[in-house]
Amino acid sequence: MSARPATPARSAPPAPSALKVGLVGAGGIAKAHAPAWRALGVDLVVHSHDGAADLAAAHGARVAGSLEELLDVVDVVDVVTPTSTHLDVATAALAAGRHVLCEKPIARTGAEGAALLDAARAADRQLYPGHVVRFFPEYALMRAAVRAGDVGTPAVLRFARGGMFPTWSPWFADDGQSGGVVMDLMIHDLDIARWVAGEVTAVHATRRDVEDGGLPHTLAHVVLTHAGGAITHVRGLWGAPHTTFRTSFHVAGDDGVLRFDSAGAGGVRTDLPPVPAGGQDRPAPAAGESPYLTEIREFATAFAASPGALTPDHPRHPRVSAVDGVVAVEIAEAALASIASGAPVALDTAARVRELGGAPLDADAADLATTGSRA
Amino acid sequence: MNSTTQPAVVPSADATPDATPDEAPLRVAVLSFAHVHAASYVRLLRDRPDVELITADPDAATSPADEVRGRPFAEQLGAPYVDTYAEAFAWGPDVVIVCSENARHRDVVLAAAEAGAHVLCEKPLATRVDDAEAMIAACDAAGVQLMTAYPVRFSPEFATLRGLVDAGALGTVLGGTGTNNGKVPAGRAWFTDPELAGGGALADHVVHVADLLDALLGEDAVAVRAVTNRVLHGDDPRVRAETGGLVSITYAGGAEVTVDCSWSVPDGAPTWGGLTLQVVGTGGTVEIDPFGARVDGLVAGGTQQAWLGFGANLDALMLEHFLDCVRTGATPGPDGRTGLRTLRVVAAAQESVATGGAVVRLAS
Ligand SMILES: NC(=O)c1ccc[n+]([C@@H]2O[C@H](COP(=O)([O-])OP(=O)(O)OC[C@H]3O[C@@H](n4cnc5c(N)ncnc54)[C@H](O)[C@@H]3O)[C@@H](O)[C@H]2O)c1
Repeated sequence: MSARPATPARSAPPAPSALKVGLVGAGGIAKAHAPAWRALGVDLVVHSHDGAADLAAAHGARVAGSLEELLDVVDVVDVVTPTSTHLDVATAALAAGRHVLCEKPIARTGAEGAALLDAARAADRQLYPGHVVRFFPEYALMRAAVRAGDVGTPAVLRFARGGMFPTWSPWFADDGQSGGVVMDLMIHDLDIARWVAGEVTAVHATRRDVEDGGLPHTLAHVVLTHAGGAITHVRGLWGAPHTTFRTSFHVAGDDGVLRFDSAGAGGVRTDLPPVPAGGQDRPAPAAGESPYLTEIREFATAFAASPGALTPDHPRHPRVSAVDGVVAVEIAEAALASIASGAPVALDTAARVRELGGAPLDADAADLATTGSRA
Repeated sequence: MNSTTQPAVVPSADATPDATPDEAPLRVAVLSFAHVHAASYVRLLRDRPDVELITADPDAATSPADEVRGRPFAEQLGAPYVDTYAEAFAWGPDVVIVCSENARHRDVVLAAAEAGAHVLCEKPLATRVDDAEAMIAACDAAGVQLMTAYPVRFSPEFATLRGLVDAGALGTVLGGTGTNNGKVPAGRAWFTDPELAGGGALADHVVHVADLLDALLGEDAVAVRAVTNRVLHGDDPRVRAETGGLVSITYAGGAEVTVDCSWSVPDGAPTWGGLTLQVVGTGGTVEIDPFGARVDGLVAGGTQQAWLGFGANLDALMLEHFLDCVRTGATPGPDGRTGLRTLRVVAAAQESVATGGAVVRLAS
């Protein structure tokens, strides 16, 4: 795979393939990141409490025995550890002068996320959250179409996302560490809803947890009110072990409707024995390259463009910013507060974006939206 | 219609033989053509040997001039017509089917009860909770049945879902998502008049899903929260109520359900809309799409989408059940109390909207 930049270059930047990248963590999502980095041709080093040797062997990477050892030899750190450790790992990387890609949620709390933003600014380094759904072609195309006015003014949006309860790592079931299904899973759609329908002014959420046969199950609903008048329903499920990972959206505006359902999408139909319990934790892409590759290519191109931070209007700034990542955490936190109190929670993400020094939502380049899709 | 095609959702519906020839035909009065379903009911009833039909639509004069109602509409349908409800009641109907504007259900149902006729009333049962209570009280006092017209309850898809839930296949129900999206109602202007309709999309589209959940869970809604907007058809002066809405409902056993009741189907869509219900339990997920069975494609040189729906005729199944119950003396369902419970959900949703999105607790 060539390391072709995602957007036309004004002047030839250093190639992303020249980057030295350190992956911290070697669990579930590291298995999607490692091949993407390798596809870009970078030098990859892995450090993890567990699993580093196997992951390195599978993807032609080296193992670093400690975080310090890894930080010494890389330009970029990719944080794929459990959510509650993002703050410490990413802060250490930024303090060492490394750029950071941090898996979503960018931190466990909004306050931790804001601290990370400060750390990135102090270090003059780039920091991005792994909101990979912005790189799934179906979501990117939908967003581009909405911005082009294809459905008119967005009115009522629905997003659903769900799969089996993530029992493969114990920290997911601990709300203190993961924030539960809202912070861990639904944050994808909370971010997409804001990206598509605009800044958020109110959040209401409910969540139901039931243990059955010794297994946890959780279903949550979040309803967002947007500043522009749209309303959004986001539903998240960590369900029974056989649950096939599935995502869908239905975006209705005053001039049309766009919808997608991963069940039945894509150019491959199979009739095979059922996936055993403990199977997939994320959907196979409906079409085209891995969205993790699309995402990592875009971040790598930005990292390669400058040794320091990029302004939001830089032509190589990725489609998602650290401020977007922090605001997504704050929306999820508002949902958790609503679940705890049983009442809706007011917030003003437009003001938060300004306070956090972010760019307005519509400032990004629309032509990024479908990068990497074959459509 | 053979009774074996009845969904097994209503206990009184099974093993009821069709009317025998020596039984006197049932006298059925379809009162008002305000609701678009009136035409469907008339077509189903007019040719049946076991039914004598009469129709009346005295409020036709209050409707816009471009809407065909009253005697001309009855003539189009080939149905006998009288000018006033009084004449219809004097004819001695066994049964009335109330298709007036939502806000006018109460008066017609009270008159029907006084006349001793059983009632099938269009949904929502009323526009106000106290109207629905008065209708139930009047029918109880008169000893007549009151049924609320929720045809989706009779869909084979819902029967399958209910069977799976009842058999425990879903385990403990965690909740789900319901959608009842349609085009903005056209052809009958009162649907978008909040005075006559009782609201907009909330009043029109929440009750069907609420009824299915009522039957499925057998539990009361205990908390309701709703948000609405008028982005869809926002510049249409005839639309004077909410066109988009999301309603969050908590049931007594803890199930959490969200309903999208929006009139979000574009005018150019190949079908009016539909209803879906996804139910999530610890055993898995089941979702139904009772209006989804279709042949689709492109026609007219590719300029139009085809939608050849072939789902069951739910109006027919519902009427069959109601008439069976009237003949046998069984209690038809969904009854008036179901209509009232589901109306309470709508009223709570409207209160939530009026209070800026507060969570409204329902007294049980
Ligand atoms: N974008 C997506 O689609 C997606 C999908 C899954 C997970 N995630 C996110 O990625 C992160 C990781 O999730 P996962 O499913 O891979 O978790 P996991 O538990 O499967 O893997 C975590 C890995 O980190 C290692 N680790 C833990 N603490 C460490 C530390 N302090 N230093 C070094 N290594 C450490 C563990 O040994 C393990 O290898 C989470 O924040 C999660 O929310 C994102």
